[in-house]
Amino acid sequence: MIEIKGVSKAFPGRKGSEPVQALKDVDLIVRDNEFLTVLGPSGCGKTTLLRVIAGLVPHDTGEVLVDGKPVTGPGPERAMVFQSFALMPWDNVLTNVAFGLEMQGVDKKTRELKALELIEMVGLGGFEKRLPGELSGGMQQRVGLARALAVSPKVLLMDEPFGALDEQTRRLLQEELLRIWEATRTTVVFITHSMEEAVLLGDRVVLMRPRPGRIDQILDIPMARPRSTHLDSVESSGEFTAMVGLLWSNLRAMHSDVRRARQAGQAAATKP
Amino acid sequence: MAAVAPTPARVVSPGFLSRLEAWPTVASFIVLVGGWELLGRSLNQPFFPPLSSVLNELAINQAEIMAALGTSLTNLVLGFIVSVVFGVGLGLLMGAFRKLDAALDIYINALLTAPSLVFAPIFFAIWGLERWSIVAVIFMYSTWIMVVNTVTAVHTVPPEMLEMGRAFNAPRIKTWTRIVLPSATPLIMAGIRLATGRAVKGMLNGEMFIAIVGLGKLVKDGSGRFDASLVLAILVVIIVVAFIALWVVGWVDARLTRWLPKTSR
Ligand SMILES: Nc1ncnc2c1ncn2[C@@H]1O[C@H](COP(=O)(O)OP(=O)(O)O)[C@@H](O)[C@H]1O
Ligand SMILES: [Mg+2]
Repeated sequence: MIEIKGVSKAFPGRKGSEPVQALKDVDLIVRDNEFLTVLGPSGCGKTTLLRVIAGLVPHDTGEVLVDGKPVTGPGPERAMVFQSFALMPWDNVLTNVAFGLEMQGVDKKTRELKALELIEMVGLGGFEKRLPGELSGGMQQRVGLARALAVSPKVLLMDEPFGALDEQTRRLLQEELLRIWEATRTTVVFITHSMEEAVLLGDRVVLMRPRPGRIDQILDIPMARPRSTHLDSVESSGEFTAMVGLLWSNLRAMHSDVRRARQAGQAAATKP
Repeated sequence: MAAVAPTPARVVSPGFLSRLEAWPTVASFIVLVGGWELLGRSLNQPFFPPLSSVLNELAINQAEIMAALGTSLTNLVLGFIVSVVFGVGLGLLMGAFRKLDAALDIYINALLTAPSLVFAPIFFAIWGLERWSIVAVIFMYSTWIMVVNTVTAVHTVPPEMLEMGRAFNAPRIKTWTRIVLPSATPLIMAGIRLATGRAVKGMLNGEMFIAIVGLGKLVKDGSGRFDASLVLAILVVIIVVAFIALWVVGWVDARLTRWLPKTSR
């Protein structure tokens, strides 16, 4: 379980400008074995929230607990999947997937056996000697996913992992991820800016709003599992359409709030 | 569900491709060689001998030139090895420690732009006519560009790669050996390539103006006697030396950066 209590985080602004309040008073509990999706317009602090959970940036106030222990830095029970894949182009698939285990000091034979197992699981069997540059974007992100799963994390942190992929590839990977997740039930925090993706994958959707970055609301996705076996009918179901519609009306309201606030700000600034 | 292999690029026989790509080089070489010979013959001036008499000179003085070449190559290799070790080493340290970078940056840049031969009297005072004077000149010519490139190489490691390392709890030493160094290698090698040409220049200048030995001595002797054929013969030898040196560095570079996509080579 991840407990986030009253977490705020500000980044120093550019020279002269005010600091950016990336997160303000965020309270959130990520339950064990749940697939939590985080949705919101860009700049609302999604990445910052994930990096705080990962222990990659310190937070200013509040606390972040993983299974009751405060997060002070990255830890082996949390693994990350990056939007830009962040694979090592000089290493082959096998070495990339084994990277996390290598950093933990696991011996070569053991970690490569484990890596091979994961390469098989993400559907890349036979590609272990290829370099990342020889793979398509979708295949590269499979490597990124296998690398994260290889350390057997309790929590998988994914920052818009399919954001850089084309529509078809993205669909295939969503299906793949759901299949793996429904078999393993690892806790997942999955960031996306796609409403459909948030609903399709998640047990719950956290909707965030910007300036300052905070949680707007949390919605339950009542659709049954497993979904990976019949994604198309899930997507054409009334529940799915209703959830996406609800998220959209909230996001649209958020956008018009932001626009109104900006116009009010400009009006105040132009007043003599 | 299985992944689909990306369609392999259309295979072109590498021999055919390189022959095709090499034709401008071959053509320009033929024009240069032919032009030199024709111009030399038609001018018929002692200061611009045709290629054939330059090659003839090369054959006549073969023993002397080979001996000089031996001396020069020893200087070059010594100076270059010292430069690479020091230049890349210092560059890595400056890349690792921001404070060291801030402290040394301006001096490195000053040394990079300063005409390296102005330090010659100092080296002469320390080592006199010893080989080390020339090694020091080569060092001054070739080191600083490697320092500058190496620092940039370390500073431009993609931040997402470093974040990835942190996310997987990479120890500091592993971050360097597994992420920073491989990622910095192409730019470091580019610095070494640039330094190679500078080292050859440093070698010749050192041999001509400080300790008069090797190929530099032959150039100096030749120009003293207004022997254009000898000077040009040595020039041909030096160009060949530079090409071989660059080829060796290029070979090492290609081995170390095999993973780079072909288009960005
Ligand atoms: N390292 C940083 N330094 C300064 N500002 C940052 C940094 N990271 C994020 N920010 C700012 O914090 C805000 C939230 O960013 P981010 O968490 O990346 O949002 P999202 O992922 O939702 O698009 C943005 O205004 C962004 O400019
Ligand atoms: Mg983001």
